[in-house]
Amino acid sequence: MARLRAGLYYAGLWATSLVFFAPIAWIVLASFKTRSDILAIPPKLIFTPTLQNYVDLFQRQSLFLQIGNSILLSLGAVIIAVFVSFLAAFCFSRFKPKGTDFLMFLLLSIRMLPGPAVILPVFLMYAAFGWKDSHLWLMLFYAMFSIPFSVWILKGFLDGVSTRFDETGIVNGGSWFHVIFKVVLPQVRPGLIAAFIFNLIFVWNEFLFNFIIGGVTTQNIPYALAVGTYADGGVNWTFISAMTSVYIILPITFIYLFQKYLLVGMTFGTVRGEV
Amino acid sequence: MTVFKSPGSGSKFVLPRRSLLKGGAALGMSTALGAPFINRLFAAEEHPLAGQSIEMNILGIAGWVPSSLGVKMSPLFADYVKEKYGYTVSFAFAEAPFSDLFQKAATSLATKSQEYNIIISDSQWLGALAKPGWILKLNDVIAKNPALQLDWYSQTVVDTYMTYPDGTKDIWGLPQEGDVEALYVRKDWLDDPKEKEAFQAKYGKPLPQTFEDFDALTMDEFEKIAEFFTRPDEQRWGFAQQYSRVYDFATCAFNNYLWSRGGEIWDPATGQIEGILNTQQNADSLQAFKDWLKYCPPGATNFGIAEGIDVFTQGKVFSTIQWAAVGSAMITDELKGKVLVVPPPKHGTGDAAKRICSMGGQPWVINAFNDEKKMRVAIDFMNWWYQPDTAVEFAKRGGNPCDKATLSRDDFNSINPWNQTYKFMLEEGRSRDFWHDPKYSEMLAIQQEGYSSFVTGQSSDPKAVLDYIACAQQQILNDEGVAKTAPSDACAATSL
Amino acid sequence: MSAITSRPRLARLFDDRRMMVLTLLAPVMLFFIVFNTIPTLWLLGLSFYNFSLTSGMPPEFIGVRNFVQIFHSRNGIWLDLSRTFTFVVCGVGIQTVLGAALGFLFWGSRDMPGRRIALTMLFAPMVLTPVATGTFFRFIYDPTFGVLNAMSHGLFGTGPIDFLGNPSLAFWAVLAVDCWMWTPFMTLMTLAALGSVPKAELEAAEIDRVPFVRRLSLVIWHHGKFILMLGILLRTIDSFKTLDLIIPMTKGGPGQQTRLVAMEVNKQAFESFNMGWSSAYSVLLLLISIAMTSVFIYVLNLRRRREG
Repeated sequence: MARLRAGLYYAGLWATSLVFFAPIAWIVLASFKTRSDILAIPPKLIFTPTLQNYVDLFQRQSLFLQIGNSILLSLGAVIIAVFVSFLAAFCFSRFKPKGTDFLMFLLLSIRMLPGPAVILPVFLMYAAFGWKDSHLWLMLFYAMFSIPFSVWILKGFLDGVSTRFDETGIVNGGSWFHVIFKVVLPQVRPGLIAAFIFNLIFVWNEFLFNFIIGGVTTQNIPYALAVGTYADGGVNWTFISAMTSVYIILPITFIYLFQKYLLVGMTFGTVRGEV
Repeated sequence: MTVFKSPGSGSKFVLPRRSLLKGGAALGMSTALGAPFINRLFAAEEHPLAGQSIEMNILGIAGWVPSSLGVKMSPLFADYVKEKYGYTVSFAFAEAPFSDLFQKAATSLATKSQEYNIIISDSQWLGALAKPGWILKLNDVIAKNPALQLDWYSQTVVDTYMTYPDGTKDIWGLPQEGDVEALYVRKDWLDDPKEKEAFQAKYGKPLPQTFEDFDALTMDEFEKIAEFFTRPDEQRWGFAQQYSRVYDFATCAFNNYLWSRGGEIWDPATGQIEGILNTQQNADSLQAFKDWLKYCPPGATNFGIAEGIDVFTQGKVFSTIQWAAVGSAMITDELKGKVLVVPPPKHGTGDAAKRICSMGGQPWVINAFNDEKKMRVAIDFMNWWYQPDTAVEFAKRGGNPCDKATLSRDDFNSINPWNQTYKFMLEEGRSRDFWHDPKYSEMLAIQQEGYSSFVTGQSSDPKAVLDYIACAQQQILNDEGVAKTAPSDACAATSL
Repeated sequence: MSAITSRPRLARLFDDRRMMVLTLLAPVMLFFIVFNTIPTLWLLGLSFYNFSLTSGMPPEFIGVRNFVQIFHSRNGIWLDLSRTFTFVVCGVGIQTVLGAALGFLFWGSRDMPGRRIALTMLFAPMVLTPVATGTFFRFIYDPTFGVLNAMSHGLFGTGPIDFLGNPSLAFWAVLAVDCWMWTPFMTLMTLAALGSVPKAELEAAEIDRVPFVRRLSLVIWHHGKFILMLGILLRTIDSFKTLDLIIPMTKGGPGQQTRLVAMEVNKQAFESFNMGWSSAYSVLLLLISIAMTSVFIYVLNLRRRREG
């Protein structure tokens, strides 16, 4: 009886997951259909699959540039952001300078404005200084956007790391560098990973900033999706489905591999073990 | 701590000298070997860029056949200049869909960048790109280049693709693709003897069969045909056109009704919109525009260009009013030989019946901030584009050139199924573009919102919708200084 | 022992402290000043000018006229704001309730086979590019080609429903997609919140046979509410900014039904290039956001301080 109940319970959970995953499955399914199959009425569940869409996808001009840019911009921005955030969070947690709360709030306020509102003055600024269409400056801007969330998470975790560790480290003759990076950092790993993954996914999927202050050399995949939506007059379903299916592999893999850390990371430091 | 000098550091300075010598020798050798070739190149034509290699960037329209044609044909240009002038040019392309293209171009040009050297712009943006001085004024260029002094097919071409402000002689663009509205019909459905019989029985008239039949057709008569073919249970409808809120889709489709029935959208001389756009006559036209939804497939209120192509190519509709530029997308391999392209029906009855439809198409514009070299290449490109051979090649691949010479060829009509209609609609007085004003984007957005709100049933009074649009547009033009009068007091009460 | 030997170190620490704080904070402050403070000041300044990028004319000082225009606008600025608020409140509300329910459901499933995969599938909607999501849902909702209509026709025999073209349905259809995307986020936060409840207390409550509802309010809510509230805060802030999702689906239509605040800024700033006006509007939005967030944080901090 208990087994039956458990079985039903698990089945219910799986059904829920499948319902949420269904539209994505639909997109992936579409990536193996020909254009006529995609537009067939009623929609086809059974069809002869084709790999042509993927072949076409990888023959697209600039595709590898765009994928490369996506990877470069995401990794670069997030690594910079997490590093800078860690330092700042350490400072806020350990030294609690005056105005910590105010600064934390101010950092959060960056994320409050809608994208176009944020990018407006930045666009004018970049235009004035000639920083448009530059990997470095785009990456730095993305980093800025990733900092608030990272600081909040890392501060939470750092608050949970006892200052005894710092003291012991110092007492044993280590420099602050040693204490910060060798003693404390490993203990906030879940927070680091959670911050890393969330921000990575944000930059990975980011379109508007790249469109406005990026350019020909920094185009990424969401940009490619937006401009590739229409092909020679009709909606380019085959491209969108194939491209989306390929593009989603990285984030989903990360969510699968680092799920434990995500769950712990989102506790903002109140849990250090398993969730 | 002692610092040791690395053993090879002394020789570090010897190496570069050696490699310099090697390089020099190589250079000398290649010059000696290459001399005969270079001489031959110079013998072709004296050109300031000879022997150089230049990169050009073209910004085009994503997923738009004529734009991608321009892009696909650029290797031909590269070959041409290599042989004729002796320089190499390589092209890179960027593109954005219609709804985002102006954004992309403007954000780049605002930084005075050379990111895009040649741009395929939509005709309405001439003002917005010319006023801030972002694109090159072409009067001098045309004066110096006889190849660009073409006889254009009609004044409409010049007005739409080249001139800003309207009515002056200032030229800012050269036509890349001419485009007009056409009616695409399923000839195979028309030819079906069963359909012919049923139609004759029901309406007492035969189904039109030829170009001439459709030329004479009025909207009232066409409505019968659309109704005849509207069979929802068979998943077939009689008609489709654009109603979408996005970009200019609803506007272009509605303007067909507005102009054909005798209405106007503004007075270019005074910039006056109020009182001209929001007349009762135009309100009736708007109602008629909405009424035709009953012959369109469900979801037609969201139809733009792409959806129009989708429903037609999937065999869901008998006819579609669609741009001539996407002819090659409309007539897929499966539909070859089954499609007839004709002018849209006339509005009205008898001798007074007429058709005036929206004008589409895109001009080439040249970035004003190009350096000397790129400017030179851009001008060479234009010279090459308007050569008779290039124009015919463009037509053969599905494009629509605009010069009289190409269009007057005997074989022009047979190159593409829509060419006959294209020439027909390009003649004086049959097609029109809307305002080229720099503020067109704001005015268009309001208009699109209004029309969309009416066709989806959010607003029920067509006159009220037109009042709202006219007032808002009057305000914009008045603020800009183009319209002399401010919106009237009645405007305060308008809303959607 | 450590007290004696660490004192001089601590003293040195104290001297170093200012330097340390500076070094640690310097990168963040640099970023902040360059990418946030300067642009915000620029925005503030520009809001007092009339500056249209495509007019070719330099910015013209007009004082508060932009703001006056916004306040008097019949064009629906207030409608946009109320629509956005409805979107945020309903959206976050549904996402929280549904997400929390799912979180509780998944909470007890430690032994479920393939839990990791199931959770990954559940979280997948969050990581899809919004541009792709919008485009595909447009397709799914399509009355002619879409799978939803095919299903409803097959199951309930209904005629074609134009989800995105019907003025009364469009807003809710778009909201439904937003909920689909972000309910998993609230589930994630709920799971994290539940995880932050000390196991000892949970077990004690179980042993004491405390009824579930009381267990909920006493133990679980007491510990988990901070994270849950944080999740709601983050979601509220992000929901206010929704843009990428709506543009491919309806672009604000039909008429004005799905026009949200972020879209108007986008239209004015990057389609009409009215930099001055859109700066003024952005300043207004910033003030509203700050007000919203302050209230939230105040409530959050209040609870936290009460814990001690």
